Amino acid sequence: MPARKYSNNGDNMAENIESNPFVDVSVYLFFEDISDKQGVEGFTNYMVGQAQSLAKSVPEEEYETWDDFASAVVSGESVFSSFESIEQISKCGFVTNICPFSKAIREYIKRIGNFNPVHIEATDHFNHTIQPSAAHSACMMHQTYRREVAKRITVGGKPLQYAQIGAKAYTGEIALPPESWKKVLLEKAGISETQGFMEMRENSCLYLLYVEN
Amino acid sequence: MMDIAIYSLVDDMVSKAGTEGVVEYWLRVGESYAERMGKEAYVGWPAFNVAMKEGRTSLTVEGAVNVLTDLAIIDKDGDVIGYVYALKTCPMAPTMRRYISRIGPIPDSDTDVADSYNNRIRDSAVSNYCITHQKFREVAANNITVAKQALECLQLANKGMTGDVKMVQENLARINVDERHIKSILRSASCVFALIVKGKSAGEEILE
Repeated sequence: MPARKYSNNGDNMAENIESNPFVDVSVYLFFEDISDKQGVEGFTNYMVGQAQSLAKSVPEEEYETWDDFASAVVSGESVFSSFESIEQISKCGFVTNICPFSKAIREYIKRIGNFNPVHIEATDHFNHTIQPSAAHSACMMHQTYRREVAKRITVGGKPLQYAQIGAKAYTGEIALPPESWKKVLLEKAGISETQGFMEMRENSCLYLLYVEN
Repeated sequence: MMDIAIYSLVDDMVSKAGTEGVVEYWLRVGESYAERMGKEAYVGWPAFNVAMKEGRTSLTVEGAVNVLTDLAIIDKDGDVIGYVYALKTCPMAPTMRRYISRIGPIPDSDTDVADSYNNRIRDSAVSNYCITHQKFREVAANNITVAKQALECLQLANKGMTGDVKMVQENLARINVDERHIKSILRSASCVFALIVKGKSAGEEILE
């Protein structure tokens, strides 16, 4: 496995990231209520749309070098890592160890039982109509946020690019891109397929961050 | 991250469904959340209050609660019909702090939705989230029995991020508790409510 270039101890970030699960669960129910009125498509559009609005609200950032950017991301100082603890596994490969939605998902199951099937239906809808990268409905929000917030960051004057490689659901299922995309993305991240699987065993999300040369 | 989504979601929903539409959404969410938590039964007030202190009831999923057993609510016959409880920290407080530090000022839609609720339904919301939270408590309380009697939750007071306080005077009158006493409790709490036997009132006959 490639050596980590940077990592943070997680303690302070965890404190910042912590939310009250009562609120998280009620937001899931809010989305479910929307789906009662507007169907799976409405549910998906709202999840994606609100992540876009959220990303548009965050301040813009500019970094001189790639190392400056990577350091800010793993130390939790960048808007890219506002809601998650990120580790760098290669120059352009990054992982999120604990999905920022996992606590809310656990609390939902603990408090009110099985997830409403609309979450799976919306995930499928997203994977078929937008991009095949979501393992759970929350991934739609998370990945959209990452994609949109990347547009607000420049490194060496060039816009940051983001591409999802793998996402693991609370059930253990992993969403991966089609073979042809996967090969290109892993190559760009500088990791082999085996290394990618090893990372997905330890982490919840694997993705690529880069700037075009 | 899901919690942070509230603000952009509410902002977006206000533009599509108006503030009244968002209030209706939040009320349904609070009701559905409480209904899906299921029913609970306790043999008496001591058992219920211990469960509240230990965070075992559906009402304490929102956070740690101070059980103010010195504020027993008594009916005209001298029987205990309920108690006053204080939620130490608003469940939205960590989200608000994070939103402000990471993104910026809380959007105006938060106050707009709260105002819509305050003007049309009850003047008791200091933020848009109070709508679903208070509805949750009301419905969850109806699903709890103490000594085989269903409970009723009375919202008494709450405190906003900037220190603004909402007091529900008719509920204070119903349990015969002085406003100044509740204000003193709010110094170290974010929300104060009473749980009483459904339909009862301090010093009076059962309400219809």
